[in-house]
Amino acid sequence: MSRWVQTRGARRVINGMIIGIMIVLAAGMVLPFLWLFSMSFRPVADAYKLPPSFFPPGFDFANYREVLNSRVPFVQIYLNSVMIAIVVTVGQLVTCTLAAFAFARLRFAGRDALFFILLLGLMFPAQVTILPIYLGFAKVGLLNHPIGLALMYLTSSFGVFMMRQFMLSQPKSLEEAALMDGASYAKIFWRISLPQLRPALSALGIITFTQTWNYYFQARVLLGSDTSLTLPVAMDLLRGYMSQGNLSVVMAAMSMAILPVVLLFVVAQKFVIEGVTMSGIKS
Amino acid sequence: MAIAVPSSMTGLSRRSSDLARSQALTGYVFVLPTALLYLTFVLAPVLVTVVLSFTYYDPMLGSRWVGFDNFHRFFTDRRSLQILWNTLRFALFAVTFNVGIGLLLAVALNRSMPYWLLYIFRLAFFLPVIIAAAFVSIVWGYFLGDDLGVINYYLRLIGLPAIHWLTDSRTAMMSVVIMDVWKNTGFFMIIFIAALQGVPQSIVEAAVMDGTPAWRQFLRITLPHISPVVFFAIVYASIGALQVYESIVILTQGGPGDSTRSLSILIVEEGFGGFQIGYAAAISVVMTAIILVITGVQQVLSRRWVRS
Repeated sequence: MSRWVQTRGARRVINGMIIGIMIVLAAGMVLPFLWLFSMSFRPVADAYKLPPSFFPPGFDFANYREVLNSRVPFVQIYLNSVMIAIVVTVGQLVTCTLAAFAFARLRFAGRDALFFILLLGLMFPAQVTILPIYLGFAKVGLLNHPIGLALMYLTSSFGVFMMRQFMLSQPKSLEEAALMDGASYAKIFWRISLPQLRPALSALGIITFTQTWNYYFQARVLLGSDTSLTLPVAMDLLRGYMSQGNLSVVMAAMSMAILPVVLLFVVAQKFVIEGVTMSGIKS
Repeated sequence: MAIAVPSSMTGLSRRSSDLARSQALTGYVFVLPTALLYLTFVLAPVLVTVVLSFTYYDPMLGSRWVGFDNFHRFFTDRRSLQILWNTLRFALFAVTFNVGIGLLLAVALNRSMPYWLLYIFRLAFFLPVIIAAAFVSIVWGYFLGDDLGVINYYLRLIGLPAIHWLTDSRTAMMSVVIMDVWKNTGFFMIIFIAALQGVPQSIVEAAVMDGTPAWRQFLRITLPHISPVVFFAIVYASIGALQVYESIVILTQGGPGDSTRSLSILIVEEGFGGFQIGYAAAISVVMTAIILVITGVQQVLSRRWVRS
């Protein structure tokens, strides 16, 4: 008995130590973000001064104004990013949910083969599709148009897969009852399945929005003109224009660029985590 | 699974063949948007890339079939082999540390603690995951700078020599790996936390009562239980790491020399810089083949090793 109590005490000490170490590590993880945020408020003259600061020296928004007045069309670029992210998110929620319902609940010839081919998409990197898409976009005039980037991602294998997995885990009894009452499949989807999917829709929506907001490789290849850029690519451009050492201004732009994703995550952490684990565990 | 309707019951309201037909029709209509988009933006481009990889692409004079020339060029050129090796090496390190550290962190967090503390931990470790590599790489560029770098400032402060993080061809790749692990390990941590919570508590408690040492509990009970998730994590991390692009482009532009250049960078440089479309296509086919092989091998291994 006494030995058991002793080990329990030891466990408690070890627990505390591990949590202590984790707190230090967690602080290290957010350090780069603290740095970029406080940098965005540093006067330009102090930008490169050491030691670095991890807390804003004050809240003077001069650098933010500088971003908006610079030669880089920052507002236009911001709107491009917002437009692409919203179009892709809404698009995927519609297309992926429809397809997932078909794959999870309906029986039709070729269903399993179709689903398998769709899953292959999880393994094709963007690099193996980008050349033909570039050549095709050049032909139809979609190069340098943010809408081209949005079109490419209106559906996703991952989204269909995730929604299907979620649907399979839901009970079918309500849907069967509705079928008995003579409801059409479309009506069952709309009235019964969709409302049950709300948590999965939030998770997929947030994951898709974040992913789209962050695309770089594709945007860098397909978008060239300044006014067609998205934020991740523009940041590089801004850094080039500001090469005279205007680090504070670049960080002000960066703070604005990451704001929507950070806010989304702080508010809806639960859904993001659920979505990630849902897709990770069940495959 | 389709909805199973007992035929005796459907016979009451309508004929079951009607039902099957409307079911199939709805299925095709619902799949149609995804199928068309997938065909246009994934399947067809992949097939075209494969065809392009066997051609010399010339929009003016017409493209011509060159057989395996592009692949031959890739596998005999010293520079492209170096870049292939860079990519594989990066993937090996990035996968090992991302998955390994992610698992360690998950084990560390898989204990009783107040909910708000867990919320803050998840926030801190997952934040880098959701912010674009394009953004955080710029920040890390300043952290890893030689003279004005934040890290070197603190190294000097405690009397250590400064390190040429990004400007020495021997350390540059490691610096990229360090940033990659900082950015991505939180993703694996989150997945592993969920997996660890699925390990049946009764078995663990029995082992604790028996006085089994913690490390043995982990190896004998926990690890076998979460092994499917570990395999998924390895596949997922490999697919991501082999495509590494923006973190390297922004941190080192592939340098010094070619020491950090990756396959993705080479594809963009050859395809869109030099307009060697056929050659770039061949490189992307090689990359995809590696991904497919790794995924296949890991599937086979996991069938054999994973406790079902």
